[in-house]
Amino acid sequence: MPSDGLTLAGSVRSVKAPLIRTFAGELPTAAAVVAVAGAMVAFWSDDIFTLNILATMFLFAGLASAWNVIGGFSGQFSLGHSVFFAVGAYTTANLYLKAGVSPWLGLLPAAALAAAVATLLSWPVFRLRGPFFAIATMAFTEVALALGNYWTSLTGGTRGLSIPFRLGWANMIFRDRLSYALLMLGFATLCLLVALAVRRSRLGYYLQAVRDNEGAAAAAGVSVLRVKLLGMAISAALTGVGGGLFLMQVRVADPAALLSVFDFGVKFALIALIGGLGTVYGPFLGALVVVPLEGWLRAELGGVLPGANLVVLSICLILVALFLKTGITGLFATIVRRMAR
Amino acid sequence: MATLDFANVLAVGILLGGVYALVSVGLNLIFGVIRVVNFAQGAFVMLGMYGTYAFTAVFHLDPYLALPIVVPALFLLGAVVQRLLITPLRTEPAMQIFATFGLLLLLENLVLAATRGTAFSVVSPLASASIGVAGVQLSAVRLIALVAATIVAVALGAFLKRSMLGRAIRAVAQDRAAARLMGINADRIYMLTFGLGAALAGLAGCLLTPIYSLSPEIGTSFILPAFAVVVMGGLGSVLGAYAGGFIVGLTEAFAGFYVDPSLKYAVLFAVFIAVLIVRPSGLFGQLGAEEVGLRAE
Repeated sequence: MPSDGLTLAGSVRSVKAPLIRTFAGELPTAAAVVAVAGAMVAFWSDDIFTLNILATMFLFAGLASAWNVIGGFSGQFSLGHSVFFAVGAYTTANLYLKAGVSPWLGLLPAAALAAAVATLLSWPVFRLRGPFFAIATMAFTEVALALGNYWTSLTGGTRGLSIPFRLGWANMIFRDRLSYALLMLGFATLCLLVALAVRRSRLGYYLQAVRDNEGAAAAAGVSVLRVKLLGMAISAALTGVGGGLFLMQVRVADPAALLSVFDFGVKFALIALIGGLGTVYGPFLGALVVVPLEGWLRAELGGVLPGANLVVLSICLILVALFLKTGITGLFATIVRRMAR
Repeated sequence: MATLDFANVLAVGILLGGVYALVSVGLNLIFGVIRVVNFAQGAFVMLGMYGTYAFTAVFHLDPYLALPIVVPALFLLGAVVQRLLITPLRTEPAMQIFATFGLLLLLENLVLAATRGTAFSVVSPLASASIGVAGVQLSAVRLIALVAATIVAVALGAFLKRSMLGRAIRAVAQDRAAARLMGINADRIYMLTFGLGAALAGLAGCLLTPIYSLSPEIGTSFILPAFAVVVMGGLGSVLGAYAGGFIVGLTEAFAGFYVDPSLKYAVLFAVFIAVLIVRPSGLFGQLGAEEVGLRAE
């Protein structure tokens, strides 16, 4: 962030919030972030283990960015995003398996359906606030899990669905891991750009106004419900795309795995929190830290003591909630501000 | 035949309701009264179960005799958790969600690591005993849970309503600043209440050991039904939450029998979401109760 050197102690904030920060104005930063990510792929392009971690990292960077649109920008702590994730995954899979629709095309209806489901589900629960909203969205996950296990023709039930290994660009099935890493990087880039566009648009400011004070936002003429629904639909559409990509990458999924509260629902939020809630690049940074850490912990500790990797992760989560509420980006901002003085 | 089916399902539902009422009585105090969003409550129940198991494994005594050890231990744990985790986040429900979810994950996986994934079960001489009433068999250990839930709910209701300490707890929950002006040590009240809520989870855990086999994830599976019980019954109403236990238990039993066993949770949580939307303060709670404690401070 450029400092003009004229900032006075008390007015740092107001001076440092320049309105010139537009979508176009931030594109160079976004391009730099994506370029660094791309360089990481290029650097490890023949290391299969690292490429797998990078693919997961980019997938979660995208998913956390998507969650952040409604959870961070607007402060609506959804714990039910795994539902939209699963909707996307099953839409893509069923279109591919039953109608032979290429996953590339299937991602579009996946996004649309996830957004539609999210809008319909959120409509009634958006009148709930704070923890009540979080609990209600968590309950959606349980309903979806029961329905997913019941509706075997769509989901394969508890046995799950599997996508046959038919290599081909059109089938989105590759032999090399590099393609998957690039695919997920593409998804992360899409999410980053959408989040950036939302953040710098009228909608983004409305969302933040709703987060900071719903009553005041409504009094100022913001249509609170509409804004929340729009944010949720965008967030869910991206999450649905992520679900479709995830399913094509692992090529097997059952409802219990897709709708796992810990593996997806809460993890999106966790990554966004650790990176920096409500910031554009926070979810990226969060994924950059959390995913490799988790992968490393699982490899190092998982075999020795079951659950030990999650012990470390949960301690991180508690510490961040207690001492680093603004996440890594907030920490950076503080350091930069201290050094600028 | 249909009547006997109905009676059986009713009995199953009521007994299940007793279990749910028991599991959520502590959460009712923590979330319903002092409005702390505690996702770790299920893990407290789970710790109570493992504590009871450890007690029976070491002393070879009946699991019910573990109560005097498990309940105070959970009280202490709750007080420590409140001090370290909840106090700094008192005005931030959003961060409470993260911190207590982290605690749930932490406790669950600590137990998983300590037990290395072995499942345990506790044998009580009562576990297989049952009482027949009009052709319906009622399991003794579930009846004990039901009776305990009833006693605890009545006692807790009376405690909150009549005792000085109970009044202080309600006063702090309603208006912290005013309560402090009346000479109440608000921090201590929060610590005590949270400890009490955790102790009640320990009590539930102890009484559930003869019913359920032990696994670290059992706490997670209890947490959402427990929130459903507290919210459906009525925030801030102890007897409401007691009734909420039976609403949840009966919904689950009837949906499982008359709709489809695999859809019982779908029906249960759909009902929960519906109640939450139509009456966020719960069926027996005061209107607007869901807003108290969430006011911007």
